[in-house]
Amino acid sequence: MRNFFRSLPMKLYILIAAVLAFSFFSNDFGLVDIQKTAVILAAGIDRTENGFSLTAQIAVPKGSDRTAGGTSSVEIEAEGETVSDCVSLIFSKTGWVPKLVFCDLIVLGEDAVKEDVIAYLNYFLRNDYMPDSCMLAVCEGKAGELISTVSAIDDASSLAISKLFSDAAKKSGKVMPCTLKDFAIGYYGVSESGYLPFIRTERQKGGQNDSLQSAGAGTGTDGEQKIYIAEETALFSKGKMVGLLDRNETLAVSLLKGNVFSGTFNAMDGDKPVTLSVVNNRGKVSLDSRAPSVKLSLSVVVRLCCRGVTAAIDDIASDRVTDDILKSCKETLSGYVGSMWEKLKGSGCDLFFLRRALYRSSPKRYGMWKDDVPFLSPVTVEANVRSMK
Amino acid sequence: MTVSRRQLYFFLACVAPAGKLILLPARLAESAKNDLLLPAAIHLALQAAAVFCALLLCERGETLHDMLAATFGRVAAKIFLTVFSVFLAYAAFLPLLEEKLFVQSVYYDTLPSITSFAPFFLFAAYLAAKPIRALGRVWDILGIVAAIGYAGILILSAGSADYAALAPAGGSGMGILLGVLRTWGWFFDAALLLPLAGHIEAKKGTAWRGALFYLVGSAAVLLFLAVFYGIFQETATNQLFAIAATSKYFSGVSMLGRVDYAFVFLLGLVVLFLSALPVQGCVECLLQAYGREHHLPAFLSVGISAVLLALVLVCDFRFGDVMSVISGTLFWIFPLFSVLVPALCLALRRSHA
Amino acid sequence: MTVFSAPAPRAGAVFPFGVPHKFRPPPHTPCMKTVTGNLEKDVSALKKLLPAEDIPTFSFLSGGGLPFTAVYADAVTDKELLGEQVIEPLLGYGNDPDPAHVARRISSPEARLKRSLPELAEEVLEGNPVLLWEGGKEGLAVGTKQVFSRAVAEPSTDVVIKGPREGFVEDVKINSSLVRRRFKTGELRIDTVTVGRRSKTVVCVCYLEGTSVQSTVDGIKEKLGRIDIDYVPDSSYLTHFLAERPHSLVKQIGTTEKPDIFCAKIAEGRVGLLVDGSPIALTAPYLLIEDFQSSEDYFVPAYRATFTRLLRLFALLVAIYFPAFYISAQLFKLQLFPVKLLLTIAGSIRDIPFSPSIEMLLVLLVLEVLNEASIRMPKYVGMALSVVGALVLGETAVSAGFVSTPAIIIIAFSGIGLYAVPNLIEVTSVLRLAMLLVAGSVGTFGILLLSGFCLFYLVTCENFGVPLVAPFSPLVGRDLRDSLVKFNLRSLPLRPRTLKSPNRRRLK
Repeated sequence: MRNFFRSLPMKLYILIAAVLAFSFFSNDFGLVDIQKTAVILAAGIDRTENGFSLTAQIAVPKGSDRTAGGTSSVEIEAEGETVSDCVSLIFSKTGWVPKLVFCDLIVLGEDAVKEDVIAYLNYFLRNDYMPDSCMLAVCEGKAGELISTVSAIDDASSLAISKLFSDAAKKSGKVMPCTLKDFAIGYYGVSESGYLPFIRTERQKGGQNDSLQSAGAGTGTDGEQKIYIAEETALFSKGKMVGLLDRNETLAVSLLKGNVFSGTFNAMDGDKPVTLSVVNNRGKVSLDSRAPSVKLSLSVVVRLCCRGVTAAIDDIASDRVTDDILKSCKETLSGYVGSMWEKLKGSGCDLFFLRRALYRSSPKRYGMWKDDVPFLSPVTVEANVRSMK
Repeated sequence: MTVSRRQLYFFLACVAPAGKLILLPARLAESAKNDLLLPAAIHLALQAAAVFCALLLCERGETLHDMLAATFGRVAAKIFLTVFSVFLAYAAFLPLLEEKLFVQSVYYDTLPSITSFAPFFLFAAYLAAKPIRALGRVWDILGIVAAIGYAGILILSAGSADYAALAPAGGSGMGILLGVLRTWGWFFDAALLLPLAGHIEAKKGTAWRGALFYLVGSAAVLLFLAVFYGIFQETATNQLFAIAATSKYFSGVSMLGRVDYAFVFLLGLVVLFLSALPVQGCVECLLQAYGREHHLPAFLSVGISAVLLALVLVCDFRFGDVMSVISGTLFWIFPLFSVLVPALCLALRRSHA
Repeated sequence: MTVFSAPAPRAGAVFPFGVPHKFRPPPHTPCMKTVTGNLEKDVSALKKLLPAEDIPTFSFLSGGGLPFTAVYADAVTDKELLGEQVIEPLLGYGNDPDPAHVARRISSPEARLKRSLPELAEEVLEGNPVLLWEGGKEGLAVGTKQVFSRAVAEPSTDVVIKGPREGFVEDVKINSSLVRRRFKTGELRIDTVTVGRRSKTVVCVCYLEGTSVQSTVDGIKEKLGRIDIDYVPDSSYLTHFLAERPHSLVKQIGTTEKPDIFCAKIAEGRVGLLVDGSPIALTAPYLLIEDFQSSEDYFVPAYRATFTRLLRLFALLVAIYFPAFYISAQLFKLQLFPVKLLLTIAGSIRDIPFSPSIEMLLVLLVLEVLNEASIRMPKYVGMALSVVGALVLGETAVSAGFVSTPAIIIIAFSGIGLYAVPNLIEVTSVLRLAMLLVAGSVGTFGILLLSGFCLFYLVTCENFGVPLVAPFSPLVGRDLRDSLVKFNLRSLPLRPRTLKSPNRRRLK
């Protein structure tokens, strides 16, 4: 007995090594390794008569031939009663296990946003194996078709669209990207509102990019190369899309949020149009709830420089923005802000999360004013425009 | 080889807080919402007081068994230590389930079978079979590892948080109290110190210093909770594995992949040891009660680990039910053993007095 | 007198593979004979003890007609020296058989009079010829041993750009002289212990009295004294007996081939062992951090030394963990890769017939085989082997689709990284393989678990009362100044506290 115990550690080591070697060579814990995986780069969700349609863009490795380069992809469409159904169907259709860990983009079709989107975004939100840092967007028409288009500027449509939502694009003020997490925070918060970039496609004329064509299997892949524009912003309240801001109104929102560092917009120099670059920007949406009635004021501070204007050589050297231009800028920006605010009021979308701010500052006042806040008209709309030089 | 004071402080300030960064933040947010710091602070303050009591006991330089035997006799000491070891085994269950879920979610892309987690019990059995005083040496390393992991995650995630989300304070009302009741299962650090009595190189002043270091660790937990809620706000209840979730929004992650996992794995290593600690405490209590003859340490450590493995297998997909029993029906067990017992133990007589 | 008896085998027993050990007569029956003064009898008794053909005798008469016989081991005796220092002076000697007079006549500085014939036989075997003469009641052992040793040269395993280039050789006397030359103090003690029933290997225990811990010195001597082995070919044999956990994978005794490192370690309070026949000296107590330090670290600026030490740690961690994490990421956690890298890897392994883990194991085994073969191969074949290894196996295997390029890159990087700390290579290569197996079976969680095991094991390891992973665990703040970071020499006035030296101050 004593000998047995003395040699027990060695026996245990041998047993462990044997089990380890067995599991190493059998290599099967019911897990999915890289060779059995469908790496989903993007997902498009549409509403159908019977439920949902999910189009997944799956990356296809190109083999060991490194001369080809880039990423090729294939789009698989599946219809089901729930999003989970659709994902299972993709597995049945391809034999690859769909993995969402690399899914960086979810596009919602126009029909899908007519009802509470959280009903199907919940699948992604509650999935431990899905990053909630992925970008969310709405598109014109069917999301499946958008995902299946051939991009003129990148190997896969999802990669081209993701470029629209980069930090640099955000700084231009032309696009307002939103992640799944941020959208969910807006939805579940007291504001119950949110926004998503709205994507439209345009046909690229004379595009020569055949070698990079996506091996599209979905609908709408007629070989035509597309470019994508996301300058509009869809407004959401209680999970439904309730309005759409155009590009100027989107810029106004970005300016009010103070996000713009390299954007441009047009103003008038007399009767000639002039393009101005925003070099720096501060914005403020303030709510004063101390008074008997709640007061809202909007203010934008923009530092500009002139671009694209015919000028004398001395003026080019000094690059001065004249007072006339500044005045025109001020009017233009005030117009954008005003128009944007009217749309917000009309839609009931609390885009600037004023209800949330009110709740955080005083739950009591929140109780008093929460229903009025989205429909307030600003007491002051101030656009403070300065020249850089 | 004993646990030195420095090693003890490392445990209290760096190692013990790591166990509170996984499921606890989401659990607190579920009950107390943006007030999650308040129930956590209440727990931590209570535990700091209990740690103070437990360390006052350790300052006597005698084992719990010796003190119990001197006060109530050997039979009573055996009974108490057996009951206390049952509590520690019970307390071990929640960290084990937590560790299992964490492993399945963070270390794998698809849900693995339970066999992937089973080697943990081998590890727990190995640790528990070794003298508990050897832990001090590990804490020297784990303290630094935990500090690096914690700092890394905090640096990567602090910039993504909106701290205004923590306002308005106290708005959750009863939610705060509910948060305290539902999260007792994560606060039993003082109880873990009792089996170490007699193995710690404690001297006068260790108790208040220990409590102070525990408060330093508590501050780190509170800071992490603030960052966590600042990032996830209303969706915080959905983020079960806080340490693996908060840092993924760092801009470098999109370029380099999940570089933040380097820090998550460091904390994962710390949590590995922490999850096995109640099992070690349980074995130590039984050894103090029944002696260390022959191969008893090995038998006990393997036996207890096997029982826990069986329980984890049984409760594999019943985490919700287990949670509702542990933090609902039986929540009172934790304050009883982790606050009341250390305080009452101060009344014990010294064996040589 | 001890009587040895062996059990008799049964009648008619046949032993095709030699007589079993239990039936063999004892190898060496002690003889209590002493020198009698009868030259013929004494020589014949000595020859009985040393019947080997390479131990001849040489007889001559002194000038006074006294007959002398020299017994010597042919291969290890310097016969020229024997003639010059012993025979020539005795040719002019009278006929007084008094051993003291004879000893005074010869011109060798090393002459020992011994009465016991077995002792004299041992002297002969060590290369010291024994002189017997008619009427002499003692034999004279003369130190004219012939030393065959290679020249002191830079060891190939520890090459430095700056710093001393001397290396130990196989002769313990030369090695002791290399040590003695560096400590011109009486505090340096070189105590000799003999180990090995048949090899009688000389082991020199070197330490600084008052600086080394006496209990460590005694402990080492006691452990050496308890060794009952017949043959000790190299110092590495002794490490198994000196280590507290002899079955451990982890190294527990320090090794070095350079006298400057050896002396530096002794100066820190360690105890050194020089073993005859081995160029590798041992030092104890051993700290794991020692192998991350190079002698050159002390000859270059402190910031550079710190950088290289951290680099070594990084290289070692990468070497151990990189293949394992790569496998675990492919099998269990794709998210560890950035998406573009993932697609590149997925592309490169698409046509590989093996699973990622088996592919990596194969590449690792090939590397180990290449490594093993290239070390043992003659140099001119080694070059060809490198070409075959690098070009044929590497390039062709990738083009043939047996293995993928990333696997080869990772294993190559890991292989190079391992050599950043060459003294730990036996441990780290096994650990790398273990990590790979665990990663292929359990994934990242397995890697963490095994790391946890290793960590706990390492921190509980002690040798001669000194923890293996000190100064990190237990944390010794002051000793960290010369650990992974290296402070300026002036900031290191004290010896490492970890070694518990009674004389702590080294810089005043």
